[in-house]
Amino acid sequence: MSSFTERYRRAARDPHLRRGLLDFQRSWRVSRDEQMERLERREGASFDELRREFARTKDGVLERIDEYIAEFRERAEAAGATVVELETAQDALDYISGVCRERGIALVVKSKSMVSEEIELNHHLEAAGIRAIETDLGEWLLQLARERPSHLVMPAIHQRRERVAALLGEELEREFDPNDIPEMVASARGGLREHFLGAGAGLTGANALIAETGSVMLVTNEGNARLATSLPGVHFVTAGIEKLAPTWADAQRQLQLLPRSATAQQLSTYTTCITGAQPGKEMHIILLDNGRREMAADAQIAEALRCIRCGACANVCPPYQVVGGHAFGHIYTGAIGLVNTPFHHGAEHAAGPQSLCISCGACAQVCPVAIPLPQQILELRSRSAHAPLWERAALRVWARPRWFRLGVRLAALASPLLRRLPLPPRHRWRRLPPIPWRGARRRISGRRPQQAIATTDASGRTVSLFLQCLSDALLPEAADAAARLLEAAGARVDLPRKQHCCGLPAFDAGDWATARRMAKQTIMALEEHPGRDVVTPAASCLIAMQRHWPQLFGDDPPWRGRAEAAARRTHDLAEYLETTARLPDGVLSGGADGEGDYAVHRFCQGSNLMGWDDQVERLVGRLTGEEPEPLTEAATCCGFGGLTSITAPEVGEGILERKLDCVAEAGAETLLTNNPGCALHLRAGAEARGMGHRTLHYAEYLAARLPADRLPSARLP
Amino acid sequence: MPPAKTLLRAQLVGEFAEALRSAQGEVARLDSWEALAEFARGLDSEPVARRGLPLGGIATPRGVEEIADRPVGVTQAALAVAETGSLLLVEADPLDRYVSLLTRHLVVAVREEDIVATLADAFGWLARQPRAAAYATFVTGPSRTADIERSLTIGVQGPSRLTAAIVMDDSP
Repeated sequence: MSSFTERYRRAARDPHLRRGLLDFQRSWRVSRDEQMERLERREGASFDELRREFARTKDGVLERIDEYIAEFRERAEAAGATVVELETAQDALDYISGVCRERGIALVVKSKSMVSEEIELNHHLEAAGIRAIETDLGEWLLQLARERPSHLVMPAIHQRRERVAALLGEELEREFDPNDIPEMVASARGGLREHFLGAGAGLTGANALIAETGSVMLVTNEGNARLATSLPGVHFVTAGIEKLAPTWADAQRQLQLLPRSATAQQLSTYTTCITGAQPGKEMHIILLDNGRREMAADAQIAEALRCIRCGACANVCPPYQVVGGHAFGHIYTGAIGLVNTPFHHGAEHAAGPQSLCISCGACAQVCPVAIPLPQQILELRSRSAHAPLWERAALRVWARPRWFRLGVRLAALASPLLRRLPLPPRHRWRRLPPIPWRGARRRISGRRPQQAIATTDASGRTVSLFLQCLSDALLPEAADAAARLLEAAGARVDLPRKQHCCGLPAFDAGDWATARRMAKQTIMALEEHPGRDVVTPAASCLIAMQRHWPQLFGDDPPWRGRAEAAARRTHDLAEYLETTARLPDGVLSGGADGEGDYAVHRFCQGSNLMGWDDQVERLVGRLTGEEPEPLTEAATCCGFGGLTSITAPEVGEGILERKLDCVAEAGAETLLTNNPGCALHLRAGAEARGMGHRTLHYAEYLAARLPADRLPSARLP
Repeated sequence: MPPAKTLLRAQLVGEFAEALRSAQGEVARLDSWEALAEFARGLDSEPVARRGLPLGGIATPRGVEEIADRPVGVTQAALAVAETGSLLLVEADPLDRYVSLLTRHLVVAVREEDIVATLADAFGWLARQPRAAAYATFVTGPSRTADIERSLTIGVQGPSRLTAAIVMDDSP
């Protein structure tokens, strides 16, 4: 297998891959959502309730895995099967080739099995002089091309029809018209049939192993698993130990979630259940560990073993859409691949794909077994500490407020010149932002307070404003606007003196020692006035405090307590303007900006992790009385994603292109967002593309309509 | 038959037919097994059928070579599931599986009274039937693949047409 860098470069250069995966993700999403809504109506329960209920079942299996294995073994063996539990990939390879050698089997037909991919069975059998033929069409095409699956469910999704025509042409010794897909499929049927008739053994995976009867459940659409288990005299099943399901009822609940999540089908065409060896035949069920027990024992990772291999995490993943599964994964692809690869194949194979995750959280939202994938990816990133030297050095500077400010000052001086210089070729899809000389702090403390325009629960209170280091330096207008809105609601705004950075950049980069230092510094800064509400216009910082700090201080109860106390009284500005500092409806209508013509990019984590959905649209709509223009994929990541857009610029570019295409289609004059990082990224990309709209933090849009803003005298220099 | 039960049955038949059609399957309603035999012969002059069905005159093959790629095969489902449009084939004998897998157009007879409401009902039945669970398959529509550029193509390894023949007669 080629190196990660080679795979990444190849994928990043392939525009067809990107286009094909975008079409796929979009159509899958619509069909999958329809299927899930129907399921919710039928069951009278939400997707979240259904998935959490099934997740509890899977967790229960893992807690008592040995009991379920014993029960399964007893029942399956009573029905004539042989059940072996094997520890390593090598053990499984040796077992299968051993049985083949003893029985004189020279040809094995395979139905799709990810475990067989995991142990690289084909390669090994070939070395042992045994021929293995994949019979799932997609897997067969990969075998002909000597490639690996790029998706858990649609393994050959990266291959174009021209490539398929060439591969089949060579194998079947005839010409194919790439546009005649039915003819290619029909010929493949003929080409595969002869292998079934001559095979000594068939090999399948298992979607579930039903403990109460020792049964194996298999889900396919083509029917090849039924052929592979019917014609040959020996049936191998390769399955991870996590595939156990206590009862038939549990397997049925898995089926509610699996085909809908995988292929957006209510049920796949064939769901086959086999119990024991068929008369006169052999059945060998291989239960593989290969790192799974290590995962189960790892409190941060164990939930990943709930996975039912539906591939949904890839189907919503923005970086996956840009580079596909050969780069975004090793053998297991998509978000789950970033989590299980270190355990099945070693951390060295996970580091590259890991670096492409932008932590948008889309995978967590659709996972049918509620695996906290984004959290686990960050956890593993922190353990591998593969960050390049320059990145670690930059974070060390970032962690020191004085050095950081000095750096910003120098950058502000150089900014006019730097903006005229061309960026390196891989980064030309964006422009460097202008860096203002005066940061938010000086801007806010250097002006008169905004007049209150209403009495709210915040009237007369002092509120601490957490500026965010990034906004302070690069987007001071947004932080200032946030302060003015709070003042307009009657609050006094205090800027905690020692505030700097919540630690998110270092957390995302996996440098948790630095992240802890930054977080502690912020916690101490906020503890200066422990009774005050803290408000921030930076949604990413709020999420870092509420979601990441507990993870960061998991092993440090005193700091964890302090972190939680500080995070508890910190509020997102939009939320605060709807509650404590609630300005009256329509109070900002008909402002300086004339007719409202805006669309809202929803910060991805706000939607995916916090469930904010249309919070910003509701707030802006309520205060201005103007309806937003609809934006397609409003909550899909813009591609800022921590340092990914710097280390993997093609990923940042591809994701931003998808976003800006939607913005162009919405056609609004103003694009609003609730996260300063998104605003900077969206602005930089729109500028490079020469787009005509302006990009603002929603606080800027709202504050521009405050009465004082219309009076020139109120504006201090 | 009491009217309430008849109504329920009609509802299940309707739901089953709609679900199967949405999975590209076809549905026929026939009055008797004789009508089914006639229906199969209408599709092809020499259909093959799995053993044990009361289909006078339709051949029951003895080997895979007598089945592979035959135009029409006939089998019977133990149950059908209204919720999903699935037909549950219980096939301990590989020859039965070849009929349902290697023929081009598969006709699956199911008695109207064997249609259950949900997949959970069908799984509940299977959990109590160890012999049926030896080799049982829920078939929901014709065989398909979308492995070439996600283009849905019907009929890859298994049949390219699937007809559920709902037989209203209460015999076997």
